Amino acid sequence: MSAADSTYDVIIVGAGLGGGIAAGVLAESGQRVLLLERGRDLRYRDIPGDHLRHHRLSIYGDNTTHEPAGHPRVFVDPQGHSRTVYPHEADYHNNALTVGGGARIWGMQAWRFHPDDFRMASRYGTPAGSSLADWPIAYADLAPFYERAEHEVGVAGDPSATDYAPRERAFPLPPVPATPTGAWLARGAATLGWNAFTPPLAVNTKPYLGRAACVQCRQCIGFACPTDARNGSHNTLLPRALATGRCTLITRAHVARVLTDASGRAHGVEYFAPTTPDSAQTERRTAHASTIILAGGAIETARLLLLSTSPQHPRGLGNHSDHVGRHLQGHYYPIVSGLLPVGFENPNLGPGVSIATTQFNHGNPGIIGGAMLANDFVKLPIIFWRSHLPPELPRWGLANKKAMRELYLRGIDLRGPVQEIPSPDSRVTLDPHVRDHFGLPVARLSGTTHPETLRTAEFIRARAEDWLRAAGAERVWSSPMDLRLSASQHQAGTARLAADPRDGVTDPFGRVHGHDNLWITDGSLHVTNGGFNPALTIMALAFRAAAKIAATR
Amino acid sequence: MPLTPTQLEALRALLDRLIPNDEFPGALAAGTDKFILQLLTHACAAEAPFLAQGLTQLDTEAIARHGQTFATLPITAQDALIFALEHNRTATPWPAAFPAAAFINRLIDLAAEGFYADPANGGNRDGASWRMIGYDPLLPARPSAP
Repeated sequence: MSAADSTYDVIIVGAGLGGGIAAGVLAESGQRVLLLERGRDLRYRDIPGDHLRHHRLSIYGDNTTHEPAGHPRVFVDPQGHSRTVYPHEADYHNNALTVGGGARIWGMQAWRFHPDDFRMASRYGTPAGSSLADWPIAYADLAPFYERAEHEVGVAGDPSATDYAPRERAFPLPPVPATPTGAWLARGAATLGWNAFTPPLAVNTKPYLGRAACVQCRQCIGFACPTDARNGSHNTLLPRALATGRCTLITRAHVARVLTDASGRAHGVEYFAPTTPDSAQTERRTAHASTIILAGGAIETARLLLLSTSPQHPRGLGNHSDHVGRHLQGHYYPIVSGLLPVGFENPNLGPGVSIATTQFNHGNPGIIGGAMLANDFVKLPIIFWRSHLPPELPRWGLANKKAMRELYLRGIDLRGPVQEIPSPDSRVTLDPHVRDHFGLPVARLSGTTHPETLRTAEFIRARAEDWLRAAGAERVWSSPMDLRLSASQHQAGTARLAADPRDGVTDPFGRVHGHDNLWITDGSLHVTNGGFNPALTIMALAFRAAAKIAATR
Repeated sequence: MPLTPTQLEALRALLDRLIPNDEFPGALAAGTDKFILQLLTHACAAEAPFLAQGLTQLDTEAIARHGQTFATLPITAQDALIFALEHNRTATPWPAAFPAAAFINRLIDLAAEGFYADPANGGNRDGASWRMIGYDPLLPARPSAP
C-alpha cells in the first residue's frame, strides 16, 4: 500500500448534516471512519458577514465557496438552452460548501414531516406524468430518529404544538421568543380559525450541549452564527466523532468515483485532495473500506453514482432502473409581502421566524398536498429593497428612499415550502462537454417540476394572502409562480427509497439496491420532500441508517 | 480606473438622483460611487466596458435632448431623462446588446446594493442607510463562536 492509500471501516463522502451524523454514530460505535469533505473547515471568521455575498443573496459570490471557477454546473432552461453556471448563481442550486454543509448558515427550521407526507400517492393518486409515490417507510419508522435528532442536535420548540406529528418526548429547548410581527399574525390566525404556533428551530434558546444561547442578532440566515448557537452536525455529532479518535476528517477532498468489484460490492473511493492540508497542489488517492456512505447532497450524490461506472454497471451505481438523478425536487416558495398600518415600536429580533401554521399541509380541496406557512427571518435592508417594497413604487429617487425608511419597519411577509409533485424529467445527468477542475464531467440540471406543483403553490400563495389580510396588513401583494426546475438548498429525490429495486435506487434504510455495503444519508433518499423544511428528515434518516449499519457490522 | 473623468462625472450625477440627499445622506454622501468603482475594477470587471459605454451614451442622450451633459442638467430634466430611459424611450440609438432600460436598471440596482448593504462593502458609510431605516445587525462585539 502506498502512502496515499489507506483502509478504514467506513468512508463517508460529505460532512454536511447527513454525513456528520453518520460519522458521529459510527465512530462512537467503534468504527474507524474516514470523512471526506469537498469544502473547508470554515471558522466563524472565515464566513464573512457580507450582505451581497452570502447564502440568501449571492449577487457577487457567496461566503463559503472558495474555489468557484473550477466547479461549475450546466443548467438547461425550460426552453432547452444550456449554459455553464457557478456556485453563486441561482441556477447552480448551491448549498454551502464547508464542513457542516448548509447547516452552517441555515434558517434552522427543524420540522418533522406529516405522516401523510410519506404516503402521498396513496392519499392523492399519482398525476399523469409525475413520479409521485409513497415512501417505503412510514412516519412511525422515523419518529424515534426524529426524536434523536431533536435531542442530540438540539431543537427548540413549542411542546403544545406540532400535534400533526405525534411525539413521545418534549423538545429539549424552549421555543424561540415571540416577535412583534408574530403577534399580528397570531391575531389573524385566530380570526380565521387556523392553528398557529411557534415553529421548531434548531437553535440554542438557552445554553445546551456545552454551547451558548442565541443572542438574537439580526443577521442570521445565510451567515455564520456569532455565538455558535445554530445547531447542526458541525457542532454536535461531528465533534463527537472526532473526540473518539476514530474519525479522520479530510477537507478539500473531491471524490471522483466509488470503486466496486465484480459482485457489486463497494470497496473504496478514489479522490483528489491537497498534498498537505493547506497546499494548492492536489494528488489522486485511493481509500478503502467495507462500508461506503454518500452524503454530498441530492445533486452531487447523484453525480457521483453516475460517475462510478464499471463494466457491470455501465450506467452508474444503483442505476439499474434508471432512477439515479431523476425526481430532482426542492420546494416552491410562494412569498407574500404586506404592510402593517404602523411600524413596530420594537423591531423584530432574530432569528425572526416566530409563527407558523400547518393548516394547509393536507386536506385542501382539489389540491395535492400543501405547505406549512411561516413568517420570515429578519430582513436585511438590501433584501427588503430588492424584494419587499410595493411593486408600484418607483425603484429610485426620493420616493424610493422615503419608502425605505417609512416601510422597512412595517413590512410583514409569509412564505411556505410547497410539497412538490416530482417529475422524472427533473434530473441530474453528467454533462457531455463541461468538466470540473479535475477533468470530471459536471452535473447537468434539466427539466422542471410537475405542473401540479404550480397548482398547489398558487393555492398556498392565496392562503398566505388571506393570512396577511386577516392579520391587519393594509396592502398585500405577491407574484404568480412559473414552471421551472426546483432544487436549491432543499434539493432531494435523486436516489429515492424504494422497497422494490425497480421503483428506486435505495432500500428502505438507504442502502443502494444491488450494492449491499453502499449507503446514502442525504436528501437524495426523499421520495417526496414534505411540505416542510427537510433538514430534520435528512437527520432522522441518517441516524436510522447509521444505527442500522452499526448494528449489522 | 474603469471610467474616464467624463464618465465618472456622469455616474456621480446619476447616483445623486437615484438616491438623493434629503434630511438623510444620499448615495454620494455614503460613498456609493466608490462602491461601484470598486466593483467595476474587481467583481464586475467584465461588465465595466458596457457600463462605461452606457454612461457615455447617457451624456449623448442628454446633449441630443438638451444640448448639455447629464451632470449639468437641472435636476428635473435629469429625473425626466432617467424615467424615459427606464422605459426605453430614447432620442439616440443605444446598443442593442445593452439597451437604455437595461443600463439604467443596472445602475439602480448597483446604487441600492451599495447604499443598503453592509458598510464594509463601501457604499453605506457609517451605516447611514441602516440608521435611516432602523436596522442594526446587533452582532455581539466579540463573537464567541470558534
